[in-house]
Amino acid sequence: MTKKRKISLSEEELVLALRNRDKIAIEALYDMYSSSLLGVIARIVIDTAIAEDVLQETFIKIWNSFQSYSAEKGRLFTWMVNIARNLSIDKVRSKDFKNQNKNQELEINVTFIDEQRNTVYKPELLGIKDLVAKLKPEQKAILELVYFKGYTHVEVSEELDVPLGTVKTRLRMAIMQLRTYFN
Amino acid sequence: MEDIKAYIESGILELYVLGDLTPNEKLQVEDMASKYPEIRAELGEIERSLEAYALENAVEPSEQLRDKVLNSLLTNFADDNKFPTKPFVEREITEEQFSQYDNIRALPTPATNSFYKYAFAASLAALIVSLGALYNTNSKLNDTQGQIALLQSRNQSFTNQVNYLENDVTVAHDATFKVIELQGTKKAPGDKLTMAWSPVKKKVMISLPDMKLAQNDKDHQYQLWAIVDGKPVDLGVFDAKSDTTSNGMLEMKSVANAVMFAVTLEKRGGVPSPTMDQMVVAAPFKG
Repeated sequence: MTKKRKISLSEEELVLALRNRDKIAIEALYDMYSSSLLGVIARIVIDTAIAEDVLQETFIKIWNSFQSYSAEKGRLFTWMVNIARNLSIDKVRSKDFKNQNKNQELEINVTFIDEQRNTVYKPELLGIKDLVAKLKPEQKAILELVYFKGYTHVEVSEELDVPLGTVKTRLRMAIMQLRTYFN
Repeated sequence: MEDIKAYIESGILELYVLGDLTPNEKLQVEDMASKYPEIRAELGEIERSLEAYALENAVEPSEQLRDKVLNSLLTNFADDNKFPTKPFVEREITEEQFSQYDNIRALPTPATNSFYKYAFAASLAALIVSLGALYNTNSKLNDTQGQIALLQSRNQSFTNQVNYLENDVTVAHDATFKVIELQGTKKAPGDKLTMAWSPVKKKVMISLPDMKLAQNDKDHQYQLWAIVDGKPVDLGVFDAKSDTTSNGMLEMKSVANAVMFAVTLEKRGGVPSPTMDQMVVAAPFKG
């Protein structure tokens, strides 16, 4: 069985295709973003099967509510990852999920997921160890909480017991680190 | 310019990208971004860095999920009425991409089996027929039980009749029986009761056809007494009926030596000692 070649379009092309309800947009959307979105979902919803269900729900919601996306307001991925994060949080807070008792401590999750899942290795990502080294522990923690766990900055302030202003500053510093790293 | 720098450094743009703002704050950021290109550029930078960060933390979904998701979206696509349907856009699709469409298949829907539908209908019909038969049988059974009860009560009354007549015959052929006529008291002058007593055999009988007593109601019964050694002794209770069709003699409790017999009207079932003002007939025994 040969590996399928993935469809890739530029963001502008993809947005246009989605707006035209073009069938190829569905495949391009999946091929371009499924692993990035699952990376976020799987860190909130630990169970693999449930995380993939949430990924499916995410794509359905993206497809059905695409008319509410506006390119002027930001990048496509930003809009999609917020949908994915919100659906994941809804799932984790739902009654039946809580009964499964699959919530785990934050610190365990990151390494746990990386051990358990085939994370995508791409040539441009070979420097990942450098990035982890560059981020200070408190910056890494805040990114994990906000970006991968869906905490609001108010919740982080309570969770880490630091003032709101400090949370905002640390978050900005962490993202500045990412920016210098990726540029 | 200083204001814009302070705005950027406040961290609100990061929160905007993370979707962690109220709707009002969001509108404010969007307004600022449309006015100031620096803010728009800063937002773009933040978005790109977080997108790259997500890609670095990407998790590859399982192989089969691709078809599953694409199927569900295409199903959705087919009955999507929320948008004006655009004509299918012809694109330059390579052979390889074309073959991928072939991988998207609708899941087979299981053929509906009508066996259970007919089985259910047949069961229902059988149930209705059974209920009808059961009702029919039950009413016949009730009729039969009524007839048996009637026959039993008739049989009982025949048996009683035979007993009374046997007693009659016994009294008539046994010389030890003395016939005593109990006459009405002042309370009931017309009443009369004929009885036979054999001191030897200690048997007491009362004659049913010769009885002249007012019919007792269902709360009361006549009670026969013997006076033995100056004290009343109970000899049992009996009913007086208005119809005088009954024949023969009714045997009462036995007594060996008595100087007097009397009947009182007492409450049903009898009492331990007689109510003297309820005495209707009485007679001394003159041996």
